[in-house]
Amino acid sequence: MIDLVLSVIQAIMMIALAPLFAGILNKAKARMQHRAGSSIFQPYRDVAKLMRKSENISESSSWLFRFIPYVCFGSMLLLSLMTPFFSAYVAAPYGDLISMVYIFTLYRFMMVLGGLEGGSVFGGMGGSREMMMSVLIEPSLLLSLMALAGLTGGSTMIGDIPRELIGMGAIVLTPALVLAASSFFITLLAENSRVPFDNPATHLELTMVHEGMLIEYSGRGLGLMDLSSMMRLMIFSSMFCTMFFPWGIALTASPSAVLIGLASILIKVLLVTLAIALIESYLAKYRLFRLPNLLTASFALSLLAMISLYIL
Amino acid sequence: MDAAISGNLIDLCVVAMLLLSMLAMTTTRIAQLLNAFAVQSLFLTFLALVVADSTGHTELFILGGITFAVKVIGIPWAMRRISVRLHAGREVDSTMGIPGSLLICTILIIVAYLVTEPLMATLETITRNCLAMSMSVILIGLFMMVTRRKAMAEAVGLLMMENGLFLGVISISYGMPLVVEIGIFFDVLMVSAIIGIFALRISKAFDSIDTSVLRRLKE
Repeated sequence: MIDLVLSVIQAIMMIALAPLFAGILNKAKARMQHRAGSSIFQPYRDVAKLMRKSENISESSSWLFRFIPYVCFGSMLLLSLMTPFFSAYVAAPYGDLISMVYIFTLYRFMMVLGGLEGGSVFGGMGGSREMMMSVLIEPSLLLSLMALAGLTGGSTMIGDIPRELIGMGAIVLTPALVLAASSFFITLLAENSRVPFDNPATHLELTMVHEGMLIEYSGRGLGLMDLSSMMRLMIFSSMFCTMFFPWGIALTASPSAVLIGLASILIKVLLVTLAIALIESYLAKYRLFRLPNLLTASFALSLLAMISLYIL
Repeated sequence: MDAAISGNLIDLCVVAMLLLSMLAMTTTRIAQLLNAFAVQSLFLTFLALVVADSTGHTELFILGGITFAVKVIGIPWAMRRISVRLHAGREVDSTMGIPGSLLICTILIIVAYLVTEPLMATLETITRNCLAMSMSVILIGLFMMVTRRKAMAEAVGLLMMENGLFLGVISISYGMPLVVEIGIFFDVLMVSAIIGIFALRISKAFDSIDTSVLRRLKE
């Protein structure tokens, strides 16, 4: 019973903290570029305001267009129940890594459909670019998670992986873990449309990918889509922190373990957020046709992680 | 040092070397290529030191020191000077696209593993796992020599192959006798000197160090 309560609490925390970390990311980026930047609570205000506004919907769209933000938000809700945050208990014990990857794919597919539904040119272009990237992201995401599962003895259950990794002690710092983690970090950037793959700060540019698909949304739909893309970043970074570097996570339900788990996950997610901000300030967006190079590198890294399980 | 941790360190060094080989396949700048080679040699040095520490083969300390002096500092410095003197441009173009060559690299790694697997089972050194990786570094170096068009990049491919050979020797028998190793280092130095001179001559005769130009007739 207590583990169910803990897992629900951590899902709610992830949802509640997602805009905060998006705000911290924007603030950190602004400070690195010598700007004052908006408050770290600005994403909360944006989402709250969008939720209150009325929607303006394209005439050429069908019922699907209104439906999509709820599907996207729902899939992120499901994923936040499946991802460990401060404790290794997860509320959806039947979900495993493979279903997780395909819920992400469902989200992306629905978002592309939404981009096409609006009938604008930007939506179509964003959608086609997103699908091109998706073809390259999916295998490397799957392979890096599979390598992790292979390292911990073959289980793809999400709750088991942090437990197994901590149980292995210092031996766990194998090449497979390092390679899979670096491949996963590249896919994190690609999947969340961060710089080098996409520029999240732009809203009217020919090169936009993620924002292009959202261009026809307004009001509550846009609010939900924004919130779910912040949640996606949060879920990805807590996956990175709890599955590849799980040290500190609460394995039992005792108050001290939970407190340590909470402190360690907040520090780890903050570090990942700052790393993303650093990358976004340091790199420029890549040309679209250079993206396959980086994504193939990520694929090669995860394939190497998989091979190194057998070689080493 | 704990055997498991030194085993982990060795594995990390070897994988880093392999990654740097693949990184060298993807770079398009001569400076990055030389950096990749220098860092790869640095990891090789570190690996030699860890193996020397955990097995008690003290001559590997000396070899690590020579590797550091020659391959981490000496050769990259000299090649950088040559590339500045050549004015050959910073680009090293390849006959193949980056995604394609990366995928071929992973195939080469799998081939190397399949080839060395029966041999690895018979070895009893703590570094026997490195044999497959050393084979892959050698094959990737060879692949780089085949696909790259500039003489400098081909030279770096050759030097990376030599790194792979040194790794293989460590993994099979903790290094060759010291005299042989020093001879090999001398060879490497000579090879890089000769390549430097060749590159200078090629660029003087053809106004380019693109080796595909060499096939054309010239009066």
